[in-house]
Amino acid sequence: MIEAMLAAILILSLYAVESKDLLHGTIALSGVSLLSSLLFYVLKAPDVAITEAAVGAGVSTVVYVWAIKSMERSESP
Amino acid sequence: MTARLIIGALFMVGLWALVAKRNLVKKVFGLTILNSAAVLLFIAEAGASGGGAPIMGGGQRIVDPIPQALMLTAIVIGVCVTALALGMAYRLYKATGSMDIEEIRKRLGNG
Amino acid sequence: MSARAPSAQVLTAALCIAAASFALWPLANFDGPWPEGIRDYLEARGQDESGARNLVSAIYLGYRGYDTLGETIVLLVAVSGAIGMIGAAGSKLTPGYADAAQGQSPVAGTARRAHRRTELIDVVTGKLGPVVLVFGLYVMLFGHVSPGGGFQGGVVVASGIVFLGMGSKGAGLSPLVGAVTLARIEAAGFLALLLAAGLGIVSGAGFFAPPLRGASPVGYIVALNAVIGLKVGAGIGFLCIAMLGEAER
Repeated sequence: MIEAMLAAILILSLYAVESKDLLHGTIALSGVSLLSSLLFYVLKAPDVAITEAAVGAGVSTVVYVWAIKSMERSESP
Repeated sequence: MTARLIIGALFMVGLWALVAKRNLVKKVFGLTILNSAAVLLFIAEAGASGGGAPIMGGGQRIVDPIPQALMLTAIVIGVCVTALALGMAYRLYKATGSMDIEEIRKRLGNG
Repeated sequence: MSARAPSAQVLTAALCIAAASFALWPLANFDGPWPEGIRDYLEARGQDESGARNLVSAIYLGYRGYDTLGETIVLLVAVSGAIGMIGAAGSKLTPGYADAAQGQSPVAGTARRAHRRTELIDVVTGKLGPVVLVFGLYVMLFGHVSPGGGFQGGVVVASGIVFLGMGSKGAGLSPLVGAVTLARIEAAGFLALLLAAGLGIVSGAGFFAPPLRGASPVGYIVALNAVIGLKVGAGIGFLCIAMLGEAER
């Protein structure tokens, strides 16, 4: 169970790093935070789960979307 | 052991994004992934040492609460670092017109 | 066009990863038992010494209070640094390129279009905003008996402020989401934290200790949770509101 979620986190973060569209990478990072929050709940850490859910899927995504909107959306090769 | 190996691979993905990618936002992705890998390692190690969440009155032996308290601070500091790094990337973009680190180096070197 | 050939860059990155793997391998291969002395001590004495049933709150407010103080300072510096850098106008670094950057549209390749908001966003965020704020306040104030506390409640309050900021553009901004108000609340929260921590010096109990010796220390924990939650929520909310307002332009 824990290893399956960790493998899904690894695959999502690989996709975030290698995608050419930065917005897709941001949504993948938000998915990483969501899966991490579920994993923290399974590992008996409820305080860390609340913080990671609110920070990773909320504030961090807002900051990345602002940055991508103010700069460029695609990674120019 | 396999959990530690997968978290180590996550750390290497973050380091790869920080060092080998030329786009500034990809480098900041790498910082976020590094932070996530470190937090996951601490909580995964602490979760193996007990039975219940660290709230008294549950009836089970609790897990170690100290790594969880440390990681609370680490997560909030991680988002602060992300915000500051993206602010710096925005300023570099406004000053040089490019998001590629090699282009920025050339334009700053000649200007 | 690039300073180094791409294969040299990939080789450098591969060397970095090899060195990091070599340095971190003992961490993965470690087989010793987890040291359980601290866990046993906290399980036996934590609730009586701090008065809180949530031991994580007891740790970051009682046993390791200086970490919390440092973390609030880091948050203050990061938010002011980010807002200062974003708001600073103009740049003298490369005069040839400043004009090129400012004439570009925010999304490369598309023309500047009018800001369209769908009704779905307005309804969902405008109606959900107060609910998330109330939940954040609950998490903040009940941190001593259930999972929650200052940081957790603070970041949920920040998400609620983002909801209110996104949803109320059509119907007029509520006064909670003004940037100046949030900046003042954050500064006041930081001063209140210093005051609450320093109150122990006045009554002789020491820095960051409960000031009233006879009473149960739970009240001090609740007050500290509220102050930290206010500060963290206002700080991160201010950052997000400033970025949302900046992206509107």
